[in-house]
Amino acid sequence: MSFQLSCPNCGKRAVGEFAFRSELLERPSQDDDFREWAEYVYLRRNRWGKQIEWWYHRGGCQSWFLVERDTVNNTDHRSFWYKDLPQVLAEREEG
Amino acid sequence: MARRIQEHRYLTLPERGQKVSFKYNGKTLTGYETDTIASALMAEEVKITGRSFKYHRPRGQFDAEGHGPEVMVTVDDEPNLWADLIPLHEGMEVKSQNAWPSPEFDLAAVNQVTVPMLPNGFYYKMFHKPKWVWPLAEAQIRKVAGLGKIDIKGRHNKRRYEKRYRFPDVCVIGGGPAGLGAALAALEEGKQVLLIDNRAELGGHALFDLSPVSGSPVSELNGQPAYQAVQTLIEELADSPNLEVMVNTTVFALYEDNLVAAQCGNDMFKIRAESVVLCPGATDRLLVFENNDIPGVMSARAVERDIARHGVLPGEDAVVVTTHDGGYHTAMMLHGAGAKVVAVVDSRTGNTPGHFENQAREAGIEIHKGHTVHRARGGRYVTGVDIGAPTENDTARSFNCDLLVMAVGFKPTLNLLSMGRKTPVWNTERQILEVTELPEHIYSAGEVHGNASFGRLLEEGSTAGKAAAQGAANPATTRSTDEIIAALPADIECGGKNHFICKCMDVTRNEARVSIGEGYDQVESLKRYTSLGMGPCQGKSCHEAIARLAAIDTGLTPEEAMPTTMRPPFMPTTFGTLAGRAPHLGPVRRTAMHHAHLDRDVTFLDAGQWKRPDHYLSPEEEVKHVRTKIGMIDVSTLGKIEISGPDALDFLHFLLPGKFKQLAVGKTRYSVMIAEDGILFEDGTLSHISEGRYYLSTTTGNQDAIMSMMMWWLTVEPRDVQVKNLSGANAAMNVTGPGTREFMQPLTDVDLSNEAFPYMACREGLIAGVPVVMFRIGFTGELGYEIHYPAEYGESLWNHLLEEGKSQDVRPFGVETQRILRLEKGHLIPGTDTDALSNPYEAGVGFTIKDDKPDFLGKAFLKDFKDRGIENRLIPYVLDKGAVIPEDGVAVIEQGKAVGRVTSSRTSPTLGQGIGLAWLPDSMAKTDQRFTIRNRKGVDSKATVIDHASYDPHGERLKS
Repeated sequence: MSFQLSCPNCGKRAVGEFAFRSELLERPSQDDDFREWAEYVYLRRNRWGKQIEWWYHRGGCQSWFLVERDTVNNTDHRSFWYKDLPQVLAEREEG
Repeated sequence: MARRIQEHRYLTLPERGQKVSFKYNGKTLTGYETDTIASALMAEEVKITGRSFKYHRPRGQFDAEGHGPEVMVTVDDEPNLWADLIPLHEGMEVKSQNAWPSPEFDLAAVNQVTVPMLPNGFYYKMFHKPKWVWPLAEAQIRKVAGLGKIDIKGRHNKRRYEKRYRFPDVCVIGGGPAGLGAALAALEEGKQVLLIDNRAELGGHALFDLSPVSGSPVSELNGQPAYQAVQTLIEELADSPNLEVMVNTTVFALYEDNLVAAQCGNDMFKIRAESVVLCPGATDRLLVFENNDIPGVMSARAVERDIARHGVLPGEDAVVVTTHDGGYHTAMMLHGAGAKVVAVVDSRTGNTPGHFENQAREAGIEIHKGHTVHRARGGRYVTGVDIGAPTENDTARSFNCDLLVMAVGFKPTLNLLSMGRKTPVWNTERQILEVTELPEHIYSAGEVHGNASFGRLLEEGSTAGKAAAQGAANPATTRSTDEIIAALPADIECGGKNHFICKCMDVTRNEARVSIGEGYDQVESLKRYTSLGMGPCQGKSCHEAIARLAAIDTGLTPEEAMPTTMRPPFMPTTFGTLAGRAPHLGPVRRTAMHHAHLDRDVTFLDAGQWKRPDHYLSPEEEVKHVRTKIGMIDVSTLGKIEISGPDALDFLHFLLPGKFKQLAVGKTRYSVMIAEDGILFEDGTLSHISEGRYYLSTTTGNQDAIMSMMMWWLTVEPRDVQVKNLSGANAAMNVTGPGTREFMQPLTDVDLSNEAFPYMACREGLIAGVPVVMFRIGFTGELGYEIHYPAEYGESLWNHLLEEGKSQDVRPFGVETQRILRLEKGHLIPGTDTDALSNPYEAGVGFTIKDDKPDFLGKAFLKDFKDRGIENRLIPYVLDKGAVIPEDGVAVIEQGKAVGRVTSSRTSPTLGQGIGLAWLPDSMAKTDQRFTIRNRKGVDSKATVIDHASYDPHGERLKS
């Protein structure tokens, strides 16, 4: 991995400055079946194509943010704050 | 006979510069500062520069490209360097490799006679069975087949390896006509340009090109010979303020988002460019015929470079074998240098003579059309050549010569283009591999697209450079038909042996055929079986020949027979260069008391980036001291996180498994941390320091991870909480031992009496005027106060306490001592005694979990663990007196089976016997249960499960 990622705060940096957390997942509620919890903890979609992921600017401003990344070519990134997620999801819906 | 020439009929020789003396295998030789090691050796008539990998055949200089294994040398104790790329320096010590006692007289050359003992795939055939043979065989093979020797104690250990960075707009790789054109065009667009070349001078092959320039976009160059025109271009670039030129720099990889990795000496450059223009050029094709590997067989460009750039004539009587006008160019280069060109052997018939063919004819050079080389004659070096028709095995003519030049067209250097994640494809018409499509922002130009005139290469580079500067699409390349070099004549099958395809691994065409006959008839399996193309050049010399010949011999089409993807590194790179000076450029972190520790005889321990005192005296002595007197340990590396704000308690209830509503101001509590998967990954203490202000201590290694986890939760579920990481801001030490209260009381305004400041409490106060927070906790099992205070007083307060404590024999102790102390108390350390499968109930810390809360980290999994019940337990044990102390991590054995494992094992200085923690099946985890531990050597020790702790089991010492 040598691509560059944009931190919404700091701009474009080498990916080595960042830490990857996971795909964007929805945390089940405590009322949910244990099976859903197991999937939340252990299963990942690992999509071919664009997916939204959590990244952390470890070597920089230490912000958490989301990135829509194309896992196929690593070239088409879009970084945004968590608060803007609904808007991004709406746009994806339209697109 | 090689010799220096003073003049050349068709070109002006460059200045040689200063004389330089250097050592080769202990002998002092001389050369010039403009030489490479190889050209200087050539001028000194060192014909045999190395021995081949398997058969120890004599090998000499071949291509002057830094590809061939034959010119790998050790320079000043650094092995495996390419003599034909490295500029000569005064006092260099050069040694040959893979030959003993010398390349001229090599004892292992007996391998040529014992060839049947080393058949293709000999690794697999000879040493497969019995199993014990291989280690013995490997040691012997290494001796004769090894590359240079690494001198472990050598000077290279003192070399500095630096990482350096560049951020140009346009990075141009290759300084030939196309690269120069690209750089000029990008500069004209106002861009910052970085131009890189792997040799000592820019210019590429144009430096030894006699052709008159035509069709150049820079019109004043037209009519000049190319070797002069290229100098004009270089001069034009010289003063550009926006240009940086790096020579003697090898680009060894191209990664995603235009990360260019280059090596210059010991330095590694990481170059991030907006656009990259690849102009790596091409090298001579390898023709496969009998004895095509012996010294005196050279590539055309190597000969031309030696003559035109170094003034070294590699031979007096030369035969040139060719398929295009370039061979006649080489002939004229030799002729002009005063060599006798015995013959030009041209496989073509009926072609329109080119510029240099006409010149050669005028010069009276003998030309044999419709012929190609059948074999080179000679043992240690070339003494003659047999030629004949490409389609026949009969020798038509023989010549005596001491130089045989291969000028049979070029193979593009596609490695970097392919690293742009595109696979090369075979072009049958042009008989070359090509990469036709590149990712965005990567451009290519020049001979990598095939042979072309200087003017066209310059124009193509210029177009690519402009596109790169503008971020436009990659322009298409064009070549006129007269620039296409015809297909090679079939490599001749005139019998005989030693038709070498892969010189690195000593694989002949015959061996390849035998392997194909054995069923390895796909290129991938053939490669692995014979190790074709897997040597130091990694296919750079031979992959085109492998594809071409494998296609013929397997019956596959050339498209199917293509060798695989080209991966980094393009050139072998030393580990030192990749690693750099410090691992990952990480800082070494020292606590505020570091220099006070240095004043004593301390042994440090690396804990992550931190340096921590491991022990000062022996750990046993230190344990006894803490148990009887007073000790102090530097615990500044602990994570220290302050959590405050209106939602602080709510946040802690979510983050930690416990309930803290009852945790009054001035109280401290032990807590573990549980991940969402229910696994125990951390422990520490939580203290309520003042109203609404909590202080969480964590282990050294986890502080950053815990901080980032808190920040993540505050991002997805915002709360009105302030989280402050005080890990670096505060120093900390633990003062512990039975006499601590008496010692500390006079030094502080905090009432230390057991009633006013009980076990598991915290207090704010002053010591020597320094504001401190004191925690009465008991990791060591003795009365103790963990003192946190501003790091700027780190050293002075530490020294103050040691000074004040002199009369009571207060001494520092280290981390290893603390590990023994806590083990005597049966306390676990997460990550040491637990792993990624350890659930907190089984680890014995279930008491910290209050699962009647609505939601907290790990709740769902903890419930599942509880439902499943206990399968294993972490228990403290004592060994029988005199039993062997097992290593950490060994197995607990029951009826011959491993049923559990030891996680920590030490001798207890207090009890005088072995103690530890172990995971046992629940059925065995009962007090007084006897069990057996087997150490690494197979020695058994008997142990007994104990109730709680081997030392002060009821914590009376802690609480008093």
